[in-house]
Amino acid sequence: MALIQLQTLWKNKILEGAQIWRYLLSMLLVAIATALSALVVWEFSPTNLIMIYMLAVVVTAIYLGRGPAILSAFAGVLAFDFFFVPPIYTFSVADTEYLLSFAGFLLLGLTISYLTAQAQEKALSAQRREAETAALYALSRDLTIIDDIDGICSTLSTHIQSILKCEVHFLLPGFEAYSSSHQKLTSVDVSEFTAVSNWVLQNQLPAGKGTDHFPAARGYYIPMITSLQPIGVFVLQPDDLLGQLSVEQLRLLEAFARQAALAIEHVHLAEQVSQIQLMQATEKMQDALLNSISHDLRTPLVSITGALSTLDEQDILMDDETRRSLIETAREEADRLNRLVGNLLQMTRLEAGAMHVVMEPTDIEDLIGAAIGQIEDRILERDIRISIPPDLPMFPLDFVLIVHALGNLLDNALKYSPPGSPIEIEATQVEQEIQISILDRGVGIPPADLTHIFDKFYRVQHPEQVTGTGLGLAISKGIVEAHGGHIWASNRPGGGTSITISLRLGTGIDL
Amino acid sequence: MSEQALRLLIVDDERSIRRFLRVSLGNQYQIFEAANGAEALTAVATDHPDLIILDLGLPDIDGVEVTRRLREWTQIPIIVISVREKEADKVAALDAGADDYLTKPFGIGELMARLRAALRHTLTAESESIFKTGNLSIDLSKREVLIGEQPVALTPTEYELMKFLVKHAGVVVTHTQILRAVWGSGYEHDSHILQVNISNLRRKIEPNPARPTYITTEPGVGYRMKII
Repeated sequence: MALIQLQTLWKNKILEGAQIWRYLLSMLLVAIATALSALVVWEFSPTNLIMIYMLAVVVTAIYLGRGPAILSAFAGVLAFDFFFVPPIYTFSVADTEYLLSFAGFLLLGLTISYLTAQAQEKALSAQRREAETAALYALSRDLTIIDDIDGICSTLSTHIQSILKCEVHFLLPGFEAYSSSHQKLTSVDVSEFTAVSNWVLQNQLPAGKGTDHFPAARGYYIPMITSLQPIGVFVLQPDDLLGQLSVEQLRLLEAFARQAALAIEHVHLAEQVSQIQLMQATEKMQDALLNSISHDLRTPLVSITGALSTLDEQDILMDDETRRSLIETAREEADRLNRLVGNLLQMTRLEAGAMHVVMEPTDIEDLIGAAIGQIEDRILERDIRISIPPDLPMFPLDFVLIVHALGNLLDNALKYSPPGSPIEIEATQVEQEIQISILDRGVGIPPADLTHIFDKFYRVQHPEQVTGTGLGLAISKGIVEAHGGHIWASNRPGGGTSITISLRLGTGIDL
Repeated sequence: MSEQALRLLIVDDERSIRRFLRVSLGNQYQIFEAANGAEALTAVATDHPDLIILDLGLPDIDGVEVTRRLREWTQIPIIVISVREKEADKVAALDAGADDYLTKPFGIGELMARLRAALRHTLTAESESIFKTGNLSIDLSKREVLIGEQPVALTPTEYELMKFLVKHAGVVVTHTQILRAVWGSGYEHDSHILQVNISNLRRKIEPNPARPTYITTEPGVGYRMKII
C-alpha cells in the first residue's frame, strides 16, 4: 500500500507544474468572487469586497498551488479595480486610497500563496518520506526471511518494480550471475552494461541516465555497497523513456541497494560459516575414515605376514596340515585385502564423481548370471534361487557397474546369513521400473539401522564377528543412484533381509 | 634348435611380479623377461618366445600398443594382465589381437589354464572338428550340437555364434570380435542383438541359463566358452 501511495506522490510532483487547467480554474475562482461581489455590492463598501477576492486567493493557494495563487492575486486586484472601484468599468482609480488597498491585497495574497504552498510542499514531502521509509521497511522485512542470493535479488526487483515501472538487472561479480525482468534481456545494451557497471563498482557512485557520470546511458546504475566493499550493481531500465529519476527516487533506490547489499553480505557470511563447519565435520570424518581404513588394511596384512613368516622360519617344525592351514589363511586374507582395495577405489571414484555410467540395453538374466559369477568362489554349498520373468525386456544400464553393485549385495547376503541357508534373487518389472531383490535368511537388520546400512563405514553390530569394511552397500547405493535409481532394505517376514534395487527405464531407448 | 620346454616371455615393469612368475612357471617354461615395451619388442624378435605374458601398464609403450605392433608380424599368443576397473584397456588389447586377459591379482592355477587355452587355441584351432565341454559337444563337420545324446536345434545365427565361441574355446572373445565375425562389419556396436542371441543360445544349451556354465559372461569385456 505504502508503495502505491509513493508512486502517486512522486507522480503528483512531476505533474504539478505541467497543467494549465489549474490556472484556468484559478481564473474561474476570481470570476466567481467577482460574481459574488456583484451580488453583495449594495450592502458593503467596496473595500470590504476585497475580502471575497482574498478568499479566492486562499482557496487557490490551498488547492491549486502557488503559481495559480499568484495569478489570482493579480487578477483579483485587476477585477476588483475594474468592476467595483469607481469609476466602474475602467482600470483608472478616482480615490487614491484604493491604491493602498490594492497594495495591501496584493502583498497579503502573495504572502498567503507563498506560505500555503510551502506548507503543502512540506506536508507532501513528509508524506513522501514516510512512504519511502515504509517502502524501505517493507524491503528489509522481506529480506530478513530470505537466505539465498537469488531470492534477495528477486525480492529487490519486485520491490523496485512496485514503485517504478522498469526492468531490473544485477551484476554481482563473485556471486552467481542473476537477472530479473518482465521484458526480454535484449533491451539492455551489453557493452554499456559492462562498461558502466564496472565503473560504478570501482567508484561506488551511481551513474547512468540523468546523473553526472555516463548521462548518455539508457539505464540507471546503482552500486550495492556493504560495510566492507562494493559487491554489485543493479541496473534500472525504465519503461518510459521520458522521465528522469528524481533526487528522492535516486535516494530511495540507493537505500534499497544498501539494504540488499547488506542482506547479500549476510547470506554470504552465513554460507562461509556453514562451509567452515562443514569442512571441520568433513575433516573429523576423514580422520575416522583414515583410522578405519588403516585398520581394515592392516588386519589382513597381519595375518598374511604372520602366516608367511611362520612358514619361512618354522617350516621344519610343522606338519602338513598346519602348513596348509597357514597358507589358506594367507590366501583368504589376500583376497579380502584385494576386495577392500577394490572397494576403496570404487568409493573414491564415486565420491570424486569420476564414475562414468554407460547405459546400454541389458539382458537381466545375463546381468544376474554375471553378478553371481562375482561371488562364485565363495558360494560353496549355498542354494541360490533365481526368479526372472521370461518376458522381461532389456533394460538400459551400465552392465559392469550394476554387476558390481549386485555382487556387493550378494556378498553381504553370504556374509550375514548362516552357511547352508538359501539366497534368493528376484527380478520384477513394475511399470517402467526394474526391481532386483537379493533375499537371505540371515539375522535381519534392526529396524533402526535399516536406513543407515547404506552409509559409508556403517556396520550393524552383530554378536558374531563378520569381517567387512562397511563400504559394499555404500558403493552399491552410489552406483544405483548414479543410474537415477533407488536402493532400500527391509526385513523379510519369517526372518532375513531383503535388499532391492530399482532402476527406471530411461527414455530414448526403444524396447 | 633343441627345444625341451616352451619359451615364455614375461613383460612387466614390477620386478617382484616377474620374480614370482619366474619361480612359479620356471619348471614348465623356459622364462625370458622384459621390463618395458621396447625391451619386449626386441625380446620377441631375438628370443623367439612361444607365449607372452604382457602387463598393460608399462612405463614406456602402452601394452595395447605393444600388442598392436606385435600383431603386425606375429601371431604368437599374448595374455595381457591388468588390474580390475580397466575393462576398456582389456577390450582394446583384445581387439588389438591379444588372446586373453587376466585380472591382477590372480592365482597361478588360473594363469596356467589361460596359457594352456591360448596355446591350444593357436596350435589346434583349425584342425579339430569335434569340441566337447561338459555335457555339450559340437561337431563342426556335421554342423551338429548335442546335449548328451540329444541334438539341439539352433538357428543359423545361433550356430555361427556357437561355432565362433567354440573356435575360441577357453579364451575370452570381445563383443566386437563376435559381432564382426558372426554379423559382419557394420554391426560392431550392436551389442543388443548379441545379447539376445546369447540369451537364446543359453536357454537351449545351459541347464540353468541364469547361472551359465558353458558360455560365461565377463562383465565389460565379452564372453568365454568354458572348457570343463
